[in-house]
Parts: sequence; C-alpha cells; structure tokens
Amino acid sequence: MFYIHQTSCISPQQTFKDIDINILHEPTDRKLQAIEPSYEAIPPGILRRMGKAVRMGVGAAMPVLQNTPVPDGIIIGTANGGKEDCVKFLNQIIDYEEGLLTPINFVQSTPNAVAAQIGLLTKNHGYNITHLQLGLAFEFAMIDADMLLAEYPLNNYLVGAVDDISTYNYYFEDKQGWYKKESISNKTLYDNNSTGSIAGEAALMFFVNGTRAGAIAKIHAVDTLHHEDESVMKEKLQGFIKRYLPGGEKIDLLLTGENGDNRLLKYYDRCESVVEADVAIARFKHISGEYPTASAMGLWLCCELFQKGSLPGHMIKRKGSAAAYKNVLIYNNYKGIQHSFILLSLP
Amino acid sequence: METVQLKQQLKKQIVEFLNLLSVNPDDIKDNEPLFGEGLGLDSIDSIELIVLLNREYGIVIEDPKEGRKVLVDINTMADYIEKHRTK
Amino acid sequence: MDRIVVTGMGVISAIGNTVAENRVSLIGGKCGMGSLEMFSSKFSDILPVGEIKISTDTLKEKLNAHEPGVTRTTLLALHTMQEALTDSGSTGSEISAFDTALVSANTVGGMCLTDEMYRDSKKDLPGSEYISSYDYGSVNMYLQKRFAMNGPVNTINTACSSSANAIMYGARLIRSGRAARAIVGGTDSLAKFTINGFNALHILSNEVCTPFDEGRKGLNLGEGAAFLVLEKESDAAGKKIYASLGGYSNANDSFHASSLSDEGIGPYKVMKEALAAAKLDPGAIDFINAHGTGTENNDKVESIAMLRLFEKVPAFASTKANIGHTLGAAGAIEAVFCILNLSHQELYPAVNFNEPIPATGLKPVENYTRKTLTHIMSNSFGFGGNCSSLIFSKA
Repeated sequence: MFYIHQTSCISPQQTFKDIDINILHEPTDRKLQAIEPSYEAIPPGILRRMGKAVRMGVGAAMPVLQNTPVPDGIIIGTANGGKEDCVKFLNQIIDYEEGLLTPINFVQSTPNAVAAQIGLLTKNHGYNITHLQLGLAFEFAMIDADMLLAEYPLNNYLVGAVDDISTYNYYFEDKQGWYKKESISNKTLYDNNSTGSIAGEAALMFFVNGTRAGAIAKIHAVDTLHHEDESVMKEKLQGFIKRYLPGGEKIDLLLTGENGDNRLLKYYDRCESVVEADVAIARFKHISGEYPTASAMGLWLCCELFQKGSLPGHMIKRKGSAAAYKNVLIYNNYKGIQHSFILLSLP
Repeated sequence: METVQLKQQLKKQIVEFLNLLSVNPDDIKDNEPLFGEGLGLDSIDSIELIVLLNREYGIVIEDPKEGRKVLVDINTMADYIEKHRTK
Repeated sequence: MDRIVVTGMGVISAIGNTVAENRVSLIGGKCGMGSLEMFSSKFSDILPVGEIKISTDTLKEKLNAHEPGVTRTTLLALHTMQEALTDSGSTGSEISAFDTALVSANTVGGMCLTDEMYRDSKKDLPGSEYISSYDYGSVNMYLQKRFAMNGPVNTINTACSSSANAIMYGARLIRSGRAARAIVGGTDSLAKFTINGFNALHILSNEVCTPFDEGRKGLNLGEGAAFLVLEKESDAAGKKIYASLGGYSNANDSFHASSLSDEGIGPYKVMKEALAAAKLDPGAIDFINAHGTGTENNDKVESIAMLRLFEKVPAFASTKANIGHTLGAAGAIEAVFCILNLSHQELYPAVNFNEPIPATGLKPVENYTRKTLTHIMSNSFGFGGNCSSLIFSKA
C-alpha cells in the first residue's frame, strides 16, 4: 500500500501542459502518436542523443523531480526500452558490414536507458532498476515500489512507464496482427467487431511514498497473472478484491483496458461480471492506444479523476450508481495472457 | 578542396553527425576547443568523430586516445584531414 | 528473521555445461575464451569470446525445444533452469504453484538473431518465426509456458548487473509474502549486436582479458546462463541448503552512461549498503567475486572502491577471466560460483593475471586454496551506472 503524490504524462492526448482529457486527438497514419513537449528541462547536449522513448521518459520525469524531494530510487517499467536505437544500430551493422560504427545508438538502445538517464541527469545515487515483462512491466515496477516502501516507510520513489511506437516494434506488432487491418478512428475503437487495436505510446511518471497527507491517490494493491484461461483470471480477480478491498467498502468504478480487439473481449466480459451491476465501467485505450505499459495511462487517468472529480464522457461504457468514484479497480489485459489488477482509492 | 571550404564542410558534418540540435555550424570558431569548454563534446563524441573521419574522408584512427590529439579544434581536424584523407 | 536460502542451482558457461563441470574448470583455472564459431561475424578470429561450444540446434534437440521462435538465449535459460529445479527437488506442483515466482534477466533477448531481426523490422518483408521473440520478456514467456508457471513472472534489466537484481527481486518477493519460492537467474547469448556495440565503444580486447592486471586492454564477451532456487529456510526442511542470501543492495553511480566515476561512488555505496543490510562489518567478508571486466575504467575504479571500504581488502578474483563477461547472466553465474566457494570452502585461482595495477597494488587470488569462508560478496556494475552487490553466507 502506498500513495501517489505527483504525476506526469506525455501521451497522444493533451496530458502534459494545459491538461484537458475531454479533447480526444485521433490517430495519424494509424498510430496514436505522442504530443511531445519541447523538453526544456533536458540539456541540449544530452537531448541530442536520446531516442524517442528515452526523451519521453526523461521529459516526463523532470517536471516531477523538480517539484519533489530527491527520490530514493527510480523504478521504470518498459517492454522495449530504447529499441528504436536498436534498429538504428542494427542498420549500421548491416550497412557498414560490421565496420567502424558509432556507439551512441548502442548505448541508447539498452533497456535500462530511461532509468539510467534519469539517474544520470539528476545525479541520483539511489536504487535504479528497469522491469521489462511486457504487458506487466509497469505492474512489477509498482510492486517493486510497494515492497521497498514496506521496508523503508520514509522513502520516496519515482515509478514510471514508457513505451514508444518505433520502427522496431510497429512492424513486429503489425505483422503479428495486433493492430487493426482497417483504418479506424479511436473514437470508434470499440465498435468494430474485428481483431487488433491501434498503436499508442506514452511516458508516465508517478512520485510515490507512504505518506497520506497531500496525496492524490492511495494504491491498495497491484497484482499480476500470466494465464490464458479467463476463468483462472476471474478467480484471481475475485481473490484480489476480497483480499485488498477494505471491509465495508465497495468498488465504484471499473476501468478496463478493453482495446477493440475482439479476441480479448472474453477477458473483459469476465472481469465485468465480477463487479456488481451498479458499478460504473470506463475504458481508456481509445485515449492511449495499445502498447505494453498502457495500464500506467489508466492509473494516470484515475489520478486525474480523483483530482478533478469526473471522467470525460467518452470514457464511460456504463454509468454507475455512485455519486462519486472513491474506490476504483483497474483491469488490463495484454495479448490475452498477461493480466494486471490495480486497486486504488481516494487517499 | 580549399581549406576554408573544408572547414565549413567539416563544421556542417560535425553538427549533423553528432546531432548538435542548437548549434549553427557557422557559429563554430576554427580554434574553439571541441572538448571540455567550447563545443563541450565528451568521450563518446570522440569515438563518433573518429567514425565520421573514416566514413567521410577514409581516415583510420585505431586508438581513441590518439584520436583526441587530432580532435582538438576545427583547425587541427582540417589539418589532419588534408594530410591523411583517402577520399 | 527467517533466512532466504538457496536450495538449487544450474549454470552453463564457456567452461562447463553444469554446476559440477564449472567447478572442475574453476579449480583447474580453465580459461574458456576462444574464437567465435557459432555464427559468422567479421570478428570471429579477431575477438576472443567465452562461447559455449554447443550449437543452437543441438541445444534444441537436447532440450526438446522445437517450438517456433525459440532463441539461443532462451535455450541457455531453459537448460540451467532445468538443472536448478532438478537440483532443488522441486515438484511439478511446486513449480506451478501460484506462489512460485520466476524472475530472470537478460540484455540480448532474441536480438542474438541479428540478421532475422533486421529483416523482420522491414515493412515489406513477411514476419519470420522469431518475430515475437525479440523482446527481453520473451525468454520468461517461454519458460512460464514450458513449466506451466502460474505465479509472478518478471524480467529485469540493469545492464551488466541485471541478474544480480533478478536475485534481489526474487528474494524480496519472498520476504514480502508475495511468493513462497523464487526461481531467479539470468541468461545471455553471444550476438553480433552486442559484439559490435561493445567494439564500437572500444572496450573489447583482442586478447584474452586480464582483469585487475596492469596491462589490461578490455573485456571479452561471453555467453551463459544460471538459475538459483530461493526459499525461506523454514520451508526448506529436508532440502539441501547451499547458502543463505544475507544482504544485497542496488545503487547508482550516475556519472556516465558507459563508465564509472573515478572515486567509485556507486560501487562504494552499494558494497557498504549490502554490508549494512547483512548486518556485517567489512572485515566479515572472506572473499569478493569482483565485477572485474578487464577494462581500464572498471578494474581501477572497483579497486579504489574496495580500498576505500575495506581496511584490508579481502581475497578477491574475477571469474570473467574464465568465462568472459556474460552481461545479463553475469550476476547469476557469479552468484553460483560464490555458492560453490562457500559450499566447498575453497577459492579458485584467478586466471590471466600477471602484474597488479600500480596505483593499487591489489592482487587477486593466485592459487587454488582451501579456506574457511563464511561470508562472500559478489559485485556487478553495469552501463548506466547500475551497481549491485550480493552477500552470500555459509549454510
């Protein structure tokens, strides 16, 4: 259990400056591409070397770190790290036949590049780690922070998630059928009965600690599951809620990562069947697009909800009976096998 | 190629190759230190510049430490290129 | 407090395919470096590497791993995970239990298939069988399916200290009650990608590496994998206990993306913190398995950090001289080697060492030695300044 105090989000929507999530930007070239800021906080001499994932991650972290105590650790979840630079280096290997190659693409391509660069720029000598388990990379980062805060209750941590659309992963995912074949708008993402979703990307940062005062949100628990069977998922989810929802409380909102891929609907249907009929249901993948650490966007949207008191209408799948959303359950599914559960509430 | 032209070309190449976003090639002085102060490049840039010299001018410098003696400023680089270029 | 203990191990490297084979080679001071043979590269006869002389196809046969898209990185992990699980006597239902975690690390993932990845990244070429195997997480996805695991499954990366962090994370999952046991480790195979990357940074040596030697010229890359089974001591009744994991820490040097600060901020901090976590004074450490890559920067800085922390630097050595730098697997392989030191109460000779670094005068262990060993420290330092230290103690 821990608290979120500050957040930052660079995404395909207006989430960084002049935040307004009522506006819904649409995909370009079938991708929900991040609106990147000018990265004033990153010195040009360092920015020039960064691939997109790294500059998005560092760019999202800097505003948080400028307003908070020095964190005792930097914990990042990413499936791909700096893979765009991987492809650039790979191209060099092939094009120059293993001749004289420039090293910067190699250095920036390492999966720990985001966490390392944040540490380097802020001269942070604390704990530094990168979690990579694809659709659960962010969850394991959160669990890491949860465990550390239980051991060191007075510490602070920066927990983040970054994944970008790169030449590397876009064609890999597309060729495997994870994106819609047809050209669609994210505004109608859930309406087509077809396979695939829309590519998205984002960098999110959360400053967390064990202190309630001044917090935006309270994270009760985060849990994960690797399983293809939706009944096993349902049982796990029921156990999760029973274990972590405080006595006498009820879930007001279920936020899901339903993404328009009809092959995954069985998981979301099963998840929805776990909560009572008067619980509101909302979705977020039309905002973020689909990418491994997208559940972080769901969490960020909940933080916005808790601060602003409401969600944009375009997120609501089913209205609920609660006048205000106090307890929220986030469920996300990645490629049918990875399931994430986050239970949070107003602090 | 005239030395003045070479230096101009070299400045453009350095800015492009090292992705020096905020630097105008024309603003780089010929005797401005490339490393430390001046342009503020670092050890990874020195390796990158050795690659630049190889790709654009066919020059081979095996040891990065030896390379640093060449990579002092635009003047020393241009001088070395004129003496050793194979392209 | 209930200790976290090691009840099973598996390892493969350039000097042996099992724990027993590796031990024999370590005792004999074997150096596993040679020419690259398993794939073609311009560097095949130029750069010595610690290669496992078993082809990927042979590994697939031996391990009955014929699923499409299985990579060499995954096969090495599978091989050693099997050895560790057999060694610990883990049953199928224990492995599949919802409270059994799998935490491992790698830096290459499926990128060992450099040419396939190049083609798969091109828009107009059809996808190969490896298209879903390039991710770092794909090794664990295979293992999770192969062993029908239902508990937490996570992949970690902190560059060259990755699998040390996988060990730490597994231990913390157990300590926090999120797992009853954790299968932890790391794997990496040689790849054109990493060979060219390290070569571009001018930190590879074209000779066999000489860690902590005055004339050291750089590192040799190696490949390998290792897994350990961690459990609470109270759950390990009746099992063979190799050692306990007494303390650990992760800290960041934060000086430069690919080199350590002159005073060794990260290495010093992490060793100090690991000692504090283990509630030990520096003098309690009997041996250090050093990171010791053979680069000018690492070995000098690591030496300085040891001199800063220890009044008398304990016996130390780098096993990278035997097997090369196995990147994501290094932390786990070196952990297994430390546990061999502890369980057999012996130290192995450092190989390829002649003269100490003049500024430090430090010499690694020169001969095979039988010695009373109670606490051993294993250090790993990676790109991005990621420093890790593990302390293992005698069972």
